[in-house]
Amino acid sequence: MAENDPHAAAHLHRHLHSHLPPDPALRVKALESLVVERGLVAPETLDAWVEVYAEHIGPKRGAQVIARAWTDPGFRARLLDNATDAIAEFDFVGNATGHLKAVENTDTQHNLVVCTLCSCYPFSILGMSPGWYKSAEYRARAVREPRKVLGEFGVSLAPEVSVRVWDSTAELRYLVVPQRPEGTEGWDEARLASIVTRNAMIGTDRDLRTEPA
Amino acid sequence: MDGIHDLGGKQGFGPIAVTESDPAFHEPWEGRLFAITQSVGDRSLSIDWFRNLIELMEPRSYLNEPYFQRWYFAMLTGLVQAGTFSMEEALGQGAEERNPPPPAMTLRDALARDRADCFDYSRPVAAVPRHAPGDVVRTRTHMQASHTRLPGYARGRQGSIIAHHGAHLLPDEGAMGRELAEHLYTVEFDAAELWGEEGQTGDTVTLDLWESYLVDT
Repeated sequence: MAENDPHAAAHLHRHLHSHLPPDPALRVKALESLVVERGLVAPETLDAWVEVYAEHIGPKRGAQVIARAWTDPGFRARLLDNATDAIAEFDFVGNATGHLKAVENTDTQHNLVVCTLCSCYPFSILGMSPGWYKSAEYRARAVREPRKVLGEFGVSLAPEVSVRVWDSTAELRYLVVPQRPEGTEGWDEARLASIVTRNAMIGTDRDLRTEPA
Repeated sequence: MDGIHDLGGKQGFGPIAVTESDPAFHEPWEGRLFAITQSVGDRSLSIDWFRNLIELMEPRSYLNEPYFQRWYFAMLTGLVQAGTFSMEEALGQGAEERNPPPPAMTLRDALARDRADCFDYSRPVAAVPRHAPGDVVRTRTHMQASHTRLPGYARGRQGSIIAHHGAHLLPDEGAMGRELAEHLYTVEFDAAELWGEEGQTGDTVTLDLWESYLVDT
Protein backbone atom coordinates (compact mmCIF):
# COMPACT_ATOMS: atom_id res chain seq x y z
CA MET A 1 0.00 0.00 0.00
CA ALA A 2 1.51 3.28 -1.06
CA GLU A 3 1.95 6.00 1.52
CA ASN A 4 -0.03 9.21 1.05
CA ASP A 5 -2.62 7.37 -1.00
CA PRO A 6 -5.84 9.27 -0.29
CA HIS A 7 -8.10 6.60 -1.76
CA ALA A 8 -6.54 3.90 0.40
CA ALA A 9 -6.66 6.16 3.45
CA ALA A 10 -10.36 6.82 2.98
CA HIS A 11 -10.95 3.07 2.71
CA LEU A 12 -8.94 2.44 5.89
CA HIS A 13 -10.92 5.11 7.72
CA ARG A 14 -14.22 3.48 6.84
CA HIS A 15 -12.95 0.04 7.80
CA LEU A 16 -11.54 1.19 11.13
CA HIS A 17 -14.60 3.27 11.94
CA SER A 18 -17.01 0.43 11.32
CA HIS A 19 -15.00 -2.09 13.37
CA LEU A 20 -13.87 -0.09 16.39
CA PRO A 21 -15.93 0.33 19.58
CA PRO A 22 -17.90 3.60 19.65
CA ASP A 23 -16.63 4.69 23.06
CA PRO A 24 -13.71 7.14 22.65
CA ALA A 25 -12.22 6.20 26.02
CA LEU A 26 -12.10 2.51 25.06
CA ARG A 27 -10.54 3.31 21.69
CA VAL A 28 -7.80 5.42 23.24
CA LYS A 29 -7.16 2.91 26.03
CA ALA A 30 -6.57 0.18 23.44
CA LEU A 31 -4.29 2.48 21.44
CA GLU A 32 -2.29 3.38 24.54
CA SER A 33 -1.85 -0.31 25.39
CA LEU A 34 -0.69 -0.99 21.86
CA VAL A 35 1.87 1.80 21.66
CA VAL A 36 3.25 0.89 25.09
CA GLU A 37 3.42 -2.86 24.39
CA ARG A 38 5.09 -2.25 21.07
CA GLY A 39 7.72 -0.21 22.88
CA LEU A 40 6.94 3.02 21.02
CA VAL A 41 6.52 5.14 24.13
CA ALA A 42 6.88 4.85 27.90
CA PRO A 43 3.65 5.46 29.88
CA GLU A 44 5.49 8.06 31.99
CA THR A 45 6.15 10.04 28.82
CA LEU A 46 2.41 10.25 28.20
CA ASP A 47 1.89 11.42 31.79
CA ALA A 48 4.50 14.14 31.20
CA TRP A 49 2.75 15.38 28.05
CA VAL A 50 -0.60 15.58 29.80
CA GLU A 51 1.01 17.55 32.61
CA VAL A 52 2.64 19.96 30.16
CA TYR A 53 -0.71 21.16 28.83
CA ALA A 54 -2.82 20.59 31.95
CA GLU A 55 -0.49 22.55 34.23
CA HIS A 56 2.20 24.51 32.43
CA ILE A 57 1.17 25.75 28.99
CA GLY A 58 -2.07 27.73 28.83
CA PRO A 59 -3.64 31.14 28.26
CA LYS A 60 -1.80 32.63 31.25
CA ARG A 61 1.21 32.75 28.96
CA GLY A 62 -0.62 34.84 26.41
CA ALA A 63 -1.99 37.10 29.14
CA GLN A 64 1.55 37.85 30.35
CA VAL A 65 2.54 38.81 26.82
CA ILE A 66 -0.46 41.15 26.46
CA ALA A 67 0.24 42.80 29.82
CA ARG A 68 3.83 43.46 28.76
CA ALA A 69 2.64 44.95 25.46
CA TRP A 70 0.36 47.32 27.42
CA THR A 71 3.11 48.54 29.70
CA ASP A 72 6.21 48.50 27.49
CA PRO A 73 5.92 50.38 24.17
CA GLY A 74 9.15 48.87 22.90
CA PHE A 75 7.86 45.36 23.53
CA ARG A 76 4.51 46.22 21.94
CA ALA A 77 6.35 47.34 18.79
CA ARG A 78 8.41 44.15 18.73
CA LEU A 79 5.29 42.03 19.28
CA LEU A 80 3.46 43.64 16.38
CA ASP A 81 6.54 43.39 14.18
CA ASN A 82 7.37 39.72 14.84
CA ALA A 83 5.38 37.99 17.56
CA THR A 84 7.44 34.79 17.45
CA ASP A 85 10.61 36.71 18.28
CA ALA A 86 8.77 38.75 20.91
CA ILE A 87 7.35 35.77 22.82
CA ALA A 88 10.81 34.20 22.71
CA GLU A 89 11.68 36.85 25.31
CA PHE A 90 9.41 34.84 27.65
CA ASP A 91 10.63 31.45 26.36
CA PHE A 92 7.06 30.81 25.15
CA VAL A 93 7.86 29.78 21.57
CA GLY A 94 6.89 26.19 20.78
CA ASN A 95 4.16 24.09 19.24
CA ALA A 96 2.43 26.08 16.46
CA THR A 97 3.99 29.46 17.20
CA GLY A 98 6.84 29.45 14.71
CA HIS A 99 5.00 32.05 12.61
CA LEU A 100 2.99 33.99 15.17
CA LYS A 101 1.30 37.26 14.19
CA ALA A 102 -0.14 39.66 16.77
CA VAL A 103 -3.11 41.76 15.63
CA GLU A 104 -4.23 44.70 17.68
CA ASN A 105 -7.78 45.85 18.41
CA THR A 106 -8.47 49.57 18.16
CA ASP A 107 -11.44 51.86 18.72
CA THR A 108 -12.52 51.19 15.12
CA GLN A 109 -11.21 47.66 14.45
CA HIS A 110 -11.97 44.33 16.06
CA ASN A 111 -10.03 41.17 15.23
CA LEU A 112 -11.44 37.65 15.36
CA VAL A 113 -9.49 34.42 14.74
CA VAL A 114 -10.84 31.18 13.30
CA CYS A 115 -9.59 28.18 11.37
CA THR A 116 -12.41 27.11 9.08
CA LEU A 117 -10.55 24.13 7.57
CA CYS A 118 -9.40 22.41 10.76
CA SER A 119 -8.83 24.12 14.09
CA CYS A 120 -5.34 25.64 13.94
CA TYR A 121 -4.43 27.31 17.22
CA PRO A 122 -1.23 28.76 18.75
CA PHE A 123 -0.81 26.02 21.36
CA SER A 124 2.41 27.12 23.04
CA ILE A 125 1.03 30.55 23.88
CA LEU A 126 -2.67 29.79 24.58
CA GLY A 127 -2.67 26.09 25.49
CA MET A 128 -5.33 23.66 24.33
CA SER A 129 -8.09 25.29 22.32
CA PRO A 130 -11.62 25.59 23.73
CA GLY A 131 -14.30 23.19 22.56
CA TRP A 132 -16.28 25.92 20.83
CA TYR A 133 -13.25 26.97 18.78
CA LYS A 134 -13.13 23.44 17.32
CA SER A 135 -16.89 23.20 16.80
CA ALA A 136 -18.55 23.13 13.38
CA GLU A 137 -20.76 26.00 14.57
CA TYR A 138 -17.86 28.39 15.16
CA ARG A 139 -15.86 27.30 12.11
CA ALA A 140 -18.84 27.66 9.80
CA ARG A 141 -20.25 30.90 11.15
CA ALA A 142 -17.28 33.06 12.25
CA VAL A 143 -16.33 34.07 8.70
CA ARG A 144 -19.90 34.63 7.50
CA GLU A 145 -21.68 36.25 10.42
CA PRO A 146 -18.97 37.39 12.84
CA ARG A 147 -21.21 39.97 14.51
CA LYS A 148 -23.85 37.36 15.36
CA VAL A 149 -21.14 35.04 16.64
CA LEU A 150 -19.69 37.84 18.77
CA GLY A 151 -23.17 38.57 20.08
CA GLU A 152 -23.41 35.02 21.41
CA PHE A 153 -20.21 35.72 23.34
CA GLY A 154 -21.78 38.87 24.77
CA VAL A 155 -19.81 41.23 22.53
CA SER A 156 -21.87 43.94 20.89
CA LEU A 157 -19.94 46.03 18.39
CA ALA A 158 -20.85 49.60 17.55
CA PRO A 159 -21.50 50.11 13.82
CA GLU A 160 -18.32 52.17 13.44
CA VAL A 161 -16.20 49.25 14.62
CA SER A 162 -15.29 47.01 11.70
CA VAL A 163 -14.48 43.34 12.06
CA ARG A 164 -11.49 41.67 10.49
CA VAL A 165 -11.75 37.87 10.66
CA TRP A 166 -8.46 36.00 10.32
CA ASP A 167 -8.95 32.53 8.82
CA SER A 168 -5.73 30.62 9.65
CA THR A 169 -5.28 28.79 6.36
CA ALA A 170 -1.45 28.57 6.45
CA GLU A 171 1.07 28.03 9.26
CA LEU A 172 0.70 31.58 10.53
CA ARG A 173 -1.08 31.71 13.86
CA TYR A 174 -2.82 34.78 15.22
CA LEU A 175 -2.92 36.36 18.65
CA VAL A 176 -5.36 39.20 19.24
CA VAL A 177 -4.04 42.07 21.37
CA PRO A 178 -7.09 43.44 23.21
CA GLN A 179 -7.35 47.07 24.28
CA ARG A 180 -6.21 47.98 27.76
CA PRO A 181 -9.31 48.97 29.73
CA GLU A 182 -9.67 52.32 31.40
CA GLY A 183 -9.18 52.36 35.12
CA THR A 184 -6.04 50.23 35.03
CA GLU A 185 -3.56 53.09 35.17
CA GLY A 186 -0.68 52.24 37.44
CA TRP A 187 -1.40 48.52 37.53
CA ASP A 188 1.64 46.24 37.38
CA GLU A 189 2.03 43.52 34.74
CA ALA A 190 0.81 40.71 36.97
CA ARG A 191 -2.40 42.52 37.84
CA LEU A 192 -2.96 43.45 34.20
CA ALA A 193 -2.36 39.87 33.08
CA SER A 194 -5.05 38.70 35.50
CA ILE A 195 -7.78 40.47 33.53
CA VAL A 196 -6.75 39.27 30.05
CA THR A 197 -9.11 36.49 29.06
CA ARG A 198 -8.36 33.62 26.72
CA ASN A 199 -11.33 34.58 24.58
CA ALA A 200 -10.03 38.15 24.22
CA MET A 201 -6.84 36.75 22.70
CA ILE A 202 -8.95 34.81 20.15
CA GLY A 203 -11.22 37.80 19.61
CA THR A 204 -14.48 36.51 21.09
CA ASP A 205 -14.16 38.90 24.03
CA ARG A 206 -13.49 42.64 23.68
CA ASP A 207 -14.12 44.93 26.64
CA LEU A 208 -12.10 43.41 29.44
CA ARG A 209 -13.52 43.60 32.94
CA THR A 210 -11.40 45.22 35.61
CA GLU A 211 -13.22 43.45 38.41
CA PRO A 212 -14.08 39.78 38.83
CA ALA A 213 -17.40 38.86 37.23
CA MET B 1 -10.55 18.73 -1.81
CA ASP B 2 -14.19 19.76 -1.44
CA GLY B 3 -14.59 17.81 1.78
CA ILE B 4 -16.94 18.17 4.71
CA HIS B 5 -14.06 19.78 6.65
CA ASP B 6 -14.39 22.92 4.50
CA LEU B 7 -16.96 24.45 6.85
CA GLY B 8 -16.47 28.19 6.36
CA GLY B 9 -19.78 29.84 5.53
CA LYS B 10 -21.89 26.66 5.73
CA GLN B 11 -25.34 27.46 7.03
CA GLY B 12 -27.68 25.60 9.33
CA PHE B 13 -25.43 25.27 12.35
CA GLY B 14 -26.91 26.45 15.62
CA PRO B 15 -25.65 28.55 18.50
CA ILE B 16 -22.11 28.25 19.79
CA ALA B 17 -21.57 26.54 23.13
CA VAL B 18 -19.79 29.51 24.66
CA THR B 19 -17.31 28.97 27.48
CA GLU B 20 -14.92 31.46 29.04
CA SER B 21 -12.38 29.10 30.50
CA ASP B 22 -11.91 25.38 30.28
CA PRO B 23 -9.72 22.60 31.56
CA ALA B 24 -7.07 21.67 28.99
CA PHE B 25 -8.71 18.26 28.60
CA HIS B 26 -12.38 17.67 29.30
CA GLU B 27 -12.03 13.89 29.45
CA PRO B 28 -8.96 11.90 30.51
CA TRP B 29 -8.87 10.15 27.12
CA GLU B 30 -8.37 13.51 25.38
CA GLY B 31 -5.15 14.09 27.31
CA ARG B 32 -3.91 10.55 26.68
CA LEU B 33 -4.64 10.82 22.95
CA PHE B 34 -2.98 14.21 22.69
CA ALA B 35 0.05 12.80 24.53
CA ILE B 36 0.22 9.82 22.15
CA THR B 37 0.16 12.10 19.12
CA GLN B 38 3.00 14.15 20.58
CA SER B 39 5.22 11.15 21.25
CA VAL B 40 4.42 8.39 18.75
CA GLY B 41 4.51 8.23 15.03
CA ASP B 42 6.63 9.02 12.11
CA ARG B 43 7.71 12.60 12.53
CA SER B 44 8.50 12.75 8.84
CA LEU B 45 4.76 12.53 8.30
CA SER B 46 3.97 16.09 7.30
CA ILE B 47 1.39 18.24 9.03
CA ASP B 48 -0.31 18.49 5.65
CA TRP B 49 -0.72 14.74 5.25
CA PHE B 50 -2.01 14.55 8.83
CA ARG B 51 -4.62 17.22 8.04
CA ASN B 52 -5.47 15.45 4.79
CA LEU B 53 -5.93 12.19 6.72
CA ILE B 54 -8.47 13.94 8.93
CA GLU B 55 -10.26 15.32 5.88
CA LEU B 56 -10.46 11.82 4.40
CA MET B 57 -12.77 10.61 7.15
CA GLU B 58 -16.21 9.61 5.96
CA PRO B 59 -18.17 12.90 6.10
CA ARG B 60 -20.82 11.76 8.58
CA SER B 61 -18.11 10.42 10.88
CA TYR B 62 -16.17 13.68 10.55
CA LEU B 63 -19.10 15.73 11.81
CA ASN B 64 -20.10 13.31 14.55
CA GLU B 65 -16.74 12.43 16.06
CA PRO B 66 -15.23 14.77 18.66
CA TYR B 67 -12.15 16.74 17.65
CA PHE B 68 -9.59 14.50 19.31
CA GLN B 69 -11.31 11.42 17.88
CA ARG B 70 -10.62 12.86 14.44
CA TRP B 71 -6.98 13.04 15.47
CA TYR B 72 -7.25 9.45 16.68
CA PHE B 73 -8.60 8.17 13.38
CA ALA B 74 -6.10 10.16 11.34
CA MET B 75 -3.20 8.90 13.42
CA LEU B 76 -4.38 5.28 13.38
CA THR B 77 -5.06 5.37 9.65
CA GLY B 78 -1.63 6.88 9.00
CA LEU B 79 0.13 4.29 11.17
CA VAL B 80 -1.68 1.38 9.51
CA GLN B 81 -0.98 2.80 6.08
CA ALA B 82 2.69 3.27 6.94
CA GLY B 83 2.87 -0.35 8.12
CA THR B 84 3.64 0.53 11.74
CA PHE B 85 0.54 -1.38 12.92
CA SER B 86 -1.32 -4.23 11.32
CA MET B 87 -5.07 -3.86 10.90
CA GLU B 88 -5.57 -6.42 13.67
CA GLU B 89 -3.41 -4.40 16.05
CA ALA B 90 -5.25 -1.21 15.14
CA LEU B 91 -8.54 -2.92 15.91
CA GLY B 92 -7.37 -3.72 19.43
CA GLN B 93 -6.54 -7.39 19.08
CA GLY B 94 -3.24 -7.05 20.92
CA ALA B 95 0.35 -6.25 20.04
CA GLU B 96 1.93 -8.70 17.60
CA GLU B 97 5.37 -8.02 19.00
CA ARG B 98 6.46 -6.69 22.35
CA ASN B 99 9.39 -4.37 22.85
CA PRO B 100 10.82 -2.72 25.93
CA PRO B 101 9.78 0.93 26.30
CA PRO B 102 12.14 3.70 25.25
CA PRO B 103 13.54 5.91 28.00
CA ALA B 104 10.75 7.84 29.70
CA MET B 105 10.55 11.59 29.18
CA THR B 106 10.28 13.78 32.22
CA LEU B 107 8.13 16.89 32.44
CA ARG B 108 11.22 18.94 31.67
CA ASP B 109 11.93 16.81 28.57
CA ALA B 110 8.36 17.24 27.34
CA LEU B 111 8.48 21.00 27.85
CA ALA B 112 11.74 21.09 25.89
CA ARG B 113 10.16 19.02 23.11
CA ASP B 114 7.24 21.41 22.93
CA ARG B 115 9.68 24.31 22.52
CA ALA B 116 11.43 22.37 19.75
CA ASP B 117 8.10 21.80 17.98
CA CYS B 118 8.25 25.36 16.74
CA PHE B 119 8.72 24.66 13.05
CA ASP B 120 9.79 27.11 10.41
CA TYR B 121 7.77 26.52 7.26
CA SER B 122 9.49 29.25 5.26
CA ARG B 123 11.98 28.25 2.58
CA PRO B 124 14.26 30.26 0.33
CA VAL B 125 13.13 30.26 -3.31
CA ALA B 126 14.68 31.71 -6.43
CA ALA B 127 11.34 32.80 -7.84
CA VAL B 128 10.53 36.49 -7.59
CA PRO B 129 7.15 37.14 -5.94
CA ARG B 130 4.47 37.93 -8.49
CA HIS B 131 2.56 40.14 -6.08
CA ALA B 132 3.16 42.80 -3.47
CA PRO B 133 1.05 44.39 -0.75
CA GLY B 134 -1.60 46.60 -2.32
CA ASP B 135 -2.10 44.35 -5.34
CA VAL B 136 -5.62 43.29 -6.20
CA VAL B 137 -5.82 39.58 -6.93
CA ARG B 138 -8.43 36.95 -7.62
CA THR B 139 -8.45 33.44 -6.22
CA ARG B 140 -8.76 30.36 -8.38
CA THR B 141 -12.23 28.99 -8.95
CA HIS B 142 -11.30 25.32 -9.13
CA MET B 143 -8.83 23.33 -7.09
CA GLN B 144 -7.58 19.77 -7.42
CA ALA B 145 -9.32 16.84 -5.72
CA SER B 146 -6.44 16.37 -3.27
CA HIS B 147 -5.50 18.49 -0.26
CA THR B 148 -5.55 22.27 -0.48
CA ARG B 149 -5.89 25.20 1.89
CA LEU B 150 -8.02 27.44 -0.30
CA PRO B 151 -11.49 27.13 1.26
CA GLY B 152 -14.52 26.90 -0.98
CA TYR B 153 -16.04 30.15 0.27
CA ALA B 154 -13.02 32.15 -0.93
CA ARG B 155 -12.70 30.71 -4.45
CA GLY B 156 -13.12 32.94 -7.47
CA ARG B 157 -13.15 36.04 -5.25
CA GLN B 158 -11.29 39.30 -5.50
CA GLY B 159 -9.21 40.62 -2.63
CA SER B 160 -6.22 42.76 -1.76
CA ILE B 161 -2.83 41.60 -0.64
CA ILE B 162 -1.98 43.08 2.75
CA ALA B 163 1.22 41.13 3.51
CA HIS B 164 3.87 39.00 1.84
CA HIS B 165 5.54 36.37 4.04
CA GLY B 166 8.28 35.13 1.73
CA ALA B 167 7.92 31.56 0.50
CA HIS B 168 6.38 28.82 2.66
CA LEU B 169 5.96 25.10 2.03
CA LEU B 170 2.88 24.48 -0.09
CA PRO B 171 0.42 22.17 1.72
CA ASP B 172 -0.97 20.81 -1.54
CA GLU B 173 2.45 19.27 -2.19
CA GLY B 174 3.22 18.48 1.45
CA ALA B 175 0.16 16.25 1.64
CA MET B 176 1.59 14.23 -1.24
CA GLY B 177 4.88 13.82 0.60
CA ARG B 178 6.70 16.40 -1.50
CA GLU B 179 8.37 19.68 -0.61
CA LEU B 180 7.74 22.73 -2.73
CA ALA B 181 7.78 26.31 -1.47
CA GLU B 182 5.79 29.18 -2.93
CA HIS B 183 5.33 32.79 -2.01
CA LEU B 184 2.68 33.22 0.67
CA TYR B 185 0.45 36.27 1.04
CA THR B 186 -2.24 37.47 3.41
CA VAL B 187 -5.20 38.46 1.26
CA GLU B 188 -8.06 40.55 2.59
CA PHE B 189 -11.57 40.16 1.17
CA ASP B 190 -14.49 42.51 1.72
CA ALA B 191 -17.34 40.74 3.48
CA ALA B 192 -19.65 41.78 0.65
CA GLU B 193 -17.35 40.14 -1.92
CA LEU B 194 -17.70 36.85 -0.05
CA TRP B 195 -21.29 37.02 1.20
CA GLY B 196 -23.11 39.58 -0.92
CA GLU B 197 -25.62 41.76 0.87
CA GLU B 198 -25.11 39.81 4.09
CA GLY B 199 -21.62 41.28 4.42
CA GLN B 200 -21.39 44.52 6.34
CA THR B 201 -19.46 47.37 4.73
CA GLY B 202 -16.04 47.67 6.33
CA ASP B 203 -15.96 44.10 7.59
CA THR B 204 -13.33 41.85 6.03
CA VAL B 205 -12.00 38.31 6.10
CA THR B 206 -8.31 37.60 5.59
CA LEU B 207 -6.76 34.33 4.44
CA ASP B 208 -3.14 33.27 4.04
CA LEU B 209 -2.85 32.09 0.45
CA TRP B 210 -0.06 30.71 -1.71
CA GLU B 211 0.81 32.18 -5.06
CA SER B 212 -0.64 29.31 -7.09
CA TYR B 213 -4.02 29.91 -5.42
CA LEU B 214 -4.14 33.32 -7.08
CA VAL B 215 -4.73 34.52 -10.61
CA ASP B 216 -4.03 37.98 -12.00
CA THR B 217 -6.96 40.30 -12.34
